[in-house]
Amino acid sequence: MIGGGGSPEKYQTLPGGSYTPPNGDRGSKILAPLKAEGARGVTIAVASTVVVFGLLVFAILNSSGWPQIKEAFFDPEVFWDSLGKIMARFGRNVFIFVVAEVFVLILALIIAVTRSLRGPVFTPLRILAAAYTDLFRAVPTILVILLFGFGAPALQIKGVPHSDLFWAIVALVLVYSAYVAEVYRAGIQSVHPSQVASARALGLSRGKTMRFVVVPQAVRRVLPPLLNDFIGLQKDSALIAVLGYTEALREAQIISAANFDFTPFVALALIYIVITIPEARFVDWLVARDQRRLQAVGGV
Amino acid sequence: MAPAAALRIEDLHKSFDQLEVLRGIDLEVDEHEVVGLIGASGSGKSTLLRCINLLEPVNAGRVFIEGDEITARGVDVNRIRQRVGIVFQAFNLFPHMSVLRNVTLGPIEALGASKADAEALATDLLERFGLADKRDDYPDRLSGGQQQRVAIVRALAMKPDVMLLDEVTSALDPELVAEVLNVIRELAAGGMTMVIATHEMGFARDIAHRICFLDEGVILEEGTPEQIFSQPRQERTQRFLESIIEAGRM
Amino acid sequence: MRKVFAFLVVGSLLFAACAEDNPTIGGTGGTATGGTGSTTPATAADCAAADADAFKSSGTLTIGTGNPAFPPWWEGGTSDGSEFEFNDPAKGEGYEGAVAAEVATRMGFSFPDQVTFVPVSFNKSFAPGPKDFDFVLQQISYKPERDDAVDFSDSYYNVNQALVSAEGTSVADATTIADLKDAKLGAPIGTTSLDVITQQIQPTQDPAVYDDLAQAVTDLQNGDIDGIVVDLPTAFFMAAVQIKHGIVVGQFGAESDEYFAMAFETGSPLVQCVNLALAEMKADGTLDAIEQQWLADKTNAPVLD
Repeated sequence: MIGGGGSPEKYQTLPGGSYTPPNGDRGSKILAPLKAEGARGVTIAVASTVVVFGLLVFAILNSSGWPQIKEAFFDPEVFWDSLGKIMARFGRNVFIFVVAEVFVLILALIIAVTRSLRGPVFTPLRILAAAYTDLFRAVPTILVILLFGFGAPALQIKGVPHSDLFWAIVALVLVYSAYVAEVYRAGIQSVHPSQVASARALGLSRGKTMRFVVVPQAVRRVLPPLLNDFIGLQKDSALIAVLGYTEALREAQIISAANFDFTPFVALALIYIVITIPEARFVDWLVARDQRRLQAVGGV
Repeated sequence: MAPAAALRIEDLHKSFDQLEVLRGIDLEVDEHEVVGLIGASGSGKSTLLRCINLLEPVNAGRVFIEGDEITARGVDVNRIRQRVGIVFQAFNLFPHMSVLRNVTLGPIEALGASKADAEALATDLLERFGLADKRDDYPDRLSGGQQQRVAIVRALAMKPDVMLLDEVTSALDPELVAEVLNVIRELAAGGMTMVIATHEMGFARDIAHRICFLDEGVILEEGTPEQIFSQPRQERTQRFLESIIEAGRM
Repeated sequence: MRKVFAFLVVGSLLFAACAEDNPTIGGTGGTATGGTGSTTPATAADCAAADADAFKSSGTLTIGTGNPAFPPWWEGGTSDGSEFEFNDPAKGEGYEGAVAAEVATRMGFSFPDQVTFVPVSFNKSFAPGPKDFDFVLQQISYKPERDDAVDFSDSYYNVNQALVSAEGTSVADATTIADLKDAKLGAPIGTTSLDVITQQIQPTQDPAVYDDLAQAVTDLQNGDIDGIVVDLPTAFFMAAVQIKHGIVVGQFGAESDEYFAMAFETGSPLVQCVNLALAEMKADGTLDAIEQQWLADKTNAPVLD
């Protein structure tokens, strides 16, 4: 019976000598110096923060144009009046980007895996996949939406939907799948070749190796860029407005034009901030949890 | 009639682009035999092992496992690999899976075993090698030595005919090496056919039935450990062994 | 610790946003006090002379309008060297073109030599801060909610909204507002046309709101919308020129009190001068004549009620 190996607390020395603590600190580096400096450091940090931001605020408040800016961008009456309506319309944006994201994540993975296929017989597929990503990253998103949203119904083909919602989601899915496919591809390529070798050595087929070993690791490695693209998609959901469909941004524009006031846009910006920040923290948490596992196991 | 050798290699050639790394390897390994592969870095040890389970395609020559030619056309590569277990120096375990899942993945997905059977076998093997309490841990919680032991268990779970070990202790801290070597010792004692590429000369001398010295793509010299380590015939073998002694590894 | 900092940063920004105003400069509404003299000027020309330094560019009247400049508000075609598309406002043709020329002349500027036209996008016309123009003239309706951001002149056109469509659509034969309840209607963004749909017609389907009318027309031809609400003169132009088999179905509320006005920087003393000019033009029939010349065939449509 073999005795147990080294104790679990034993830190691993990677070849090259770099040191990885078992629970890597992926937290914010902004406050890191504070922890090092102690109480005095904290006082200085607080003081300098108050001074700098205080100066900024003072400068803004006392600029000559401030009263007009305040009225045009931060009008409380317009704000409260528009917030409810914009939030109601925002539900449409949510529908668009949630549905689109689901399809994007799937389609992009298919494209990325297709591009990674080896073997000469797959050449036409690889060419198609590469051409797809080139094309849809090249054409501006708004153009794609216009082309599909106005062009498809204009063809007057029986059975082709006329719905703005449908074509906007289709356009967004096509465009964003091109970007996300490249993100996946980077993730796939970042998985160490020995992982593939280990899986193939067990006798797993290429397909199963992809499915069980490569893709799960690849996706975990690219969560931050995936979130980036999702945030971009959330904002681009507003582009459906060019088709005449009233979503949150268009609603803000309508109220803004009616009142000759920009405050509705500030309200919308706040809504976006409120949803985006938790998403970012959630992904940070996911990444921190997986980083530990994925990074600590490299060299043996 | 003599049974087919567990492993037979005939005039194996392998090049990477213009560089010929293996220049005609001939090797026969009998069942239950343990062969130690020694040689300088770059001599082709890793490449040779990777050719045996077709992780590297072969340029010329033939390889036979239990009498079946695996370098023949139309051979099912995946099936071959299921019969040959290999453990690498590093990056072995799948970091996103628990130890148990690492071990059962091959049997379930490649051999078609049921989950229950695979887990039973895995648990049994892990217990045998002192890793039972790590069953549900993820690899990042394991020391290097534990990870390599799991990697060996994972290969064993496929019930291979031959085990290939490619410098499996070279990246480990010295104090973790022993536990891995003990596992290998046990395998050898149990009669597993193995080809072990290693720098651990003392260990090789202990458990190998035969030592092959690989130099510049050919097996320059082979013989029993006593022959090789005490009375090497070739000058280059001699020089290699001297450099090893100087480095304090023997 | 992070929370403390977040609080500090957000707190100071919120404080800024909610802080007391400095008193605003300038008044509200259509009449502004200003000028150097204590006597109210009698004519537009006197007024303009008295406030000579209130103009953006002294000696010149700077007028902003949208680009492209659409008929029937602007006519005459383009000119080389002008950045305006469809029509060059400096020709003084079209309803707004003629009004601009007339107002400028009455204020003492020779047209077009002493008048400069600058393209101004809709949002720019009411954005805070100093403007690049003396006033904007682009089918902007007076609305009380808009009064804080800009100063408005008096009316230069009483506008009715209308419904334009194509032959064969579900609204082509509508005679009452009730006929439009199930229709899918569209309107350009930022217009009171949209208000007509949401407040007067109140159809069961959401209106389609467009950045520009060309897209509305495309959807109409595709059959994705049934009709477009725009002001009456624009409706005629679209039916005649832009929409295949276009028709003006009808107009809304013959007694609407909606009107177009010029928009000025808040507190501009020029509002008074322009109002004087407009008053003169209404009194001596010039404004009616301009309407006859440019919009005569664009006012006859059945009333939908």
